[in-house]
Amino acid sequence: MYVNETVVYIGEILVAIGVFCDLAASIGMLRFPNFYVRLHAATVGTIGGAFVPLIGIALIALGAEWLGTYRFFLAGASIITAIIIIILAPVGSHVLARATHKARLVKVEPKVVDHLEEDIKKKEGDKNA
Amino acid sequence: MKKADVFVIASIIVFILSLAYITALGGLGPLPPINVRRIAINYLNLTYNTFTPYLTVFALESVTSIVWDFRGLDTLYETAVFYAAIIASIALYRGVYMDFKKNTEKTGLSPIAKTVTRISLILIPTVSASVALHGHLTPGGGFQAGSIATVVIVLSIIIFSRYFLPIHGLSKNKALLFRSIGLLGIAITSIALLLIAIVLGVNAYIFQNQAKIDAPLSFPSLVDNYILGGSLLFFNLFEFIAVAFGFTIVFLLLSISEEKVKKVTMDG
Repeated sequence: MYVNETVVYIGEILVAIGVFCDLAASIGMLRFPNFYVRLHAATVGTIGGAFVPLIGIALIALGAEWLGTYRFFLAGASIITAIIIIILAPVGSHVLARATHKARLVKVEPKVVDHLEEDIKKKEGDKNA
Repeated sequence: MKKADVFVIASIIVFILSLAYITALGGLGPLPPINVRRIAINYLNLTYNTFTPYLTVFALESVTSIVWDFRGLDTLYETAVFYAAIIASIALYRGVYMDFKKNTEKTGLSPIAKTVTRISLILIPTVSASVALHGHLTPGGGFQAGSIATVVIVLSIIIFSRYFLPIHGLSKNKALLFRSIGLLGIAITSIALLLIAIVLGVNAYIFQNQAKIDAPLSFPSLVDNYILGGSLLFFNLFEFIAVAFGFTIVFLLLSISEEKVKKVTMDG
């Protein structure tokens, strides 16, 4: 009895974290200075704002006994979606960032460090040497 | 905030409100009735109704029931149009052959993208198969599932290389073969009961799914408490195959380089 309630409360906390992450991500999308940092904000929105609340929804569904066997369908679908998101979302932002860097569509400014640029310079240096 | 921004926001709000007001007054044509229309009531009543066994479809999804049973012949011709379009695109590319000798190890995007795509190359067909095979129970169906499955083709062309699929055994001709199998399946399913009825010497109709008053044959609709939806399951499955491989052919042809196509089409 208490186990179910606890699971539901944990799930609700996860959904609340998701709401916070989505809010933070949307503020970041508007306020961050360049494309790459905004991409970071977008990833906060997909992992913190979609993966975490989906796990929370799965927990809420598992705790909701009045749903009968349907709660397992709900929980299973949420967990599978969450797994797919956590596999695909980072790759999506990776591919976006890499393609943008390769095409030199945006200036990396303001920047602290640009490892990809350093790698490319290193490779070019090896070729020239 | 600038004055222009305020003006833009205010005008958008005024536009939306005035559009809503005009729509509510019936200025953009007659308002839809609040009651459910009679034809919709008929569809909803007959989709799964054990009390009228000679009129029902015995499937839970009324949209798929309409598409492949109530107006099945219409959908058959839609599929035929799609078939003709694919055949036309193959005809445009006649004489253009795909080469698949190149090594795909060095082409394509980064190893991170490739690894995850290898995982999703299994996930996507699974999802599409479930959409196709549950088409008579939940929203979805053959065409949607086929479109989902085609994402695999686009992904593999972009992430790996355009030679990836031909190297791994999915050439244009093989896709054409599978597509023809799908279409043949649709054709056979649509006249299956008719053929059996000729042998047995009873009445039957084209596109018959469940038994009618004067036609006693019907597809299995319930096997071991699982709802099969009669012919809908077969139609969805074959449509899935036909659409998935039809799109595959188009994307494989589109991935051939322009110089190569021009060489054949211009020089003959």
